[in-house]
Amino acid sequence: MELILEVRRVITLYLPDRRLQHWRDALPDLLTSCPAGRLDLHCGDWSLTCTDLRDLQRILEVSGRQIHRLETTVPETVVSAAAIGLEGRLWGDSPPDAARESPSPRSLMVHQGTLRSGDHFQSDGSLLVVGDVNPGARISAAADVMVWGRLRGVAHAGRDGATGAKIVSLHLRPLQLRIASVVARGPEDQPVAGMAEQARLVDGEIVIEPADPQSMART
Amino acid sequence: MSTTRIILICSGKGGVGKTTTTANLGIALARRGVNTVVLDADFGLRNLDLLLGLENRIVYTAQEVLAETCRLEQALVKHKQEPNLALLPAGNPRMLEWLTPKDMKAIVALLEESFDYVLIDCPAGIEAGFKNAAAAAREAVVVTTPEVAAVRDADRVIGLLNTQGVSPVQLVLNRVRPKMMSTQDMLSVDDVTDILALPLLGLVFEDEQVIVSTNRGEPLTLGPANSPAAQAYTNIAGRLQGDDIPLMDPAKARQGLRAKMRKLMQTKIF
Ligand SMILES: Nc1ncnc2c1ncn2[C@@H]1O[C@H](COP(=O)(O)OP(=O)(O)O)[C@@H](O)[C@H]1O
Ligand SMILES: [Mg+2]
Repeated sequence: MELILEVRRVITLYLPDRRLQHWRDALPDLLTSCPAGRLDLHCGDWSLTCTDLRDLQRILEVSGRQIHRLETTVPETVVSAAAIGLEGRLWGDSPPDAARESPSPRSLMVHQGTLRSGDHFQSDGSLLVVGDVNPGARISAAADVMVWGRLRGVAHAGRDGATGAKIVSLHLRPLQLRIASVVARGPEDQPVAGMAEQARLVDGEIVIEPADPQSMART
Repeated sequence: MSTTRIILICSGKGGVGKTTTTANLGIALARRGVNTVVLDADFGLRNLDLLLGLENRIVYTAQEVLAETCRLEQALVKHKQEPNLALLPAGNPRMLEWLTPKDMKAIVALLEESFDYVLIDCPAGIEAGFKNAAAAAREAVVVTTPEVAAVRDADRVIGLLNTQGVSPVQLVLNRVRPKMMSTQDMLSVDDVTDILALPLLGLVFEDEQVIVSTNRGEPLTLGPANSPAAQAYTNIAGRLQGDDIPLMDPAKARQGLRAKMRKLMQTKIF
């Protein structure tokens, strides 16, 4: 029997561009549009000290948020993060295994129109649905699955085992998601309106996060 | 091609109100003066004749017409009160296997010559029975109730109709309970149309008069339009013919009911 996991929705907080505004000034505004819970902090090219990070941590904690992981393009920030016990990742060097197992986007199949209950649309490469995928419909692809519409059915990316495959949708509210051999129930809560989201495998778990145009350009 | 409207009444799921809709719509259209025939393609579980109170008048079926053992006029059963409405059973329950898509097209081609509307009462499911019934349809009315399973099945059927080039496909939402909708114990009208993405031809409220009339073999639309469901079917017939009739609003219907109750209470108090 397959083990069905629950998806985890990741919240991402982006610090502002260093040339435009100081992160301390921007934070109150940023927090008003950021839900509470564990979040990934994208620090851009801010060089942050241990003191900076502790301050950040404190500000976030009083409003009910915890830093889950930190991403940055500056090595010093990773070092500071490690010093205070935070997991930091240097942006640009994505884990080598994920890169290797990224499916080759041999072909892109496009379906225009709504997929209704009982329909099953498949692709040996990537797959793009321009329309809705209704409850009861299924889509699967060897590589990525993209839905330019509402995904409310079942989607399977990386059908042949590619763990780097992604599922992207303008409205991600699937009944079930599968990436490679991992199966997860869809999220119960409604997606944030007007924001594309993506699902991918992180440490054997399917996580949902805001769609990342950078990573889509890579595949 | 004739201008006859050949409309499949279908749902996917059983028991959601296809036959009730076919019977009431048939009467309502006939009352508007259009020559209408209702074709019972669900002859394995034949009950359109029952609902119309015509069970004891059936002698032949479409099968005998195609076999040329009788003429079409002999197989057509005219309604007692509504001379503009006729019923044609596609077959009888013991001869399930005989109908093919070709037969269906042949029957409908015959009916087209003398009727303005052909309403086809479709069996539940999406297998052979459905495919035969749908073979000659030009347009469709999908009936569903505000329940997840009924909507899911309706969605499947709409997908099949689309691949067969049936168009337009319109929606009737049956057994709507305004109170349950207001407390969100039932899918809302928006929930349903959001998934099915079809033009809404009509809403029919849950109405016990439907059951009473079914048992009597006298469709609601035969009587005065004082029950909500009778009004709904009459409106649907109008919209099918292009009349611009606003949809009923479940929220308003509920307010209306409350106002009536309040009045009733007041008259009792004073
Ligand atoms: N609007 C309604 N209000 C109350 N009962 C209804 C309504 N519509 C249908 N019914 C009842 O539901 C049952 C199934 O209806 P029917 O038309 O036979 O469904 P189908 O042909 O789709 O199997 C019948 O008992 C009928 O009286
Ligand atoms: Mg029926």
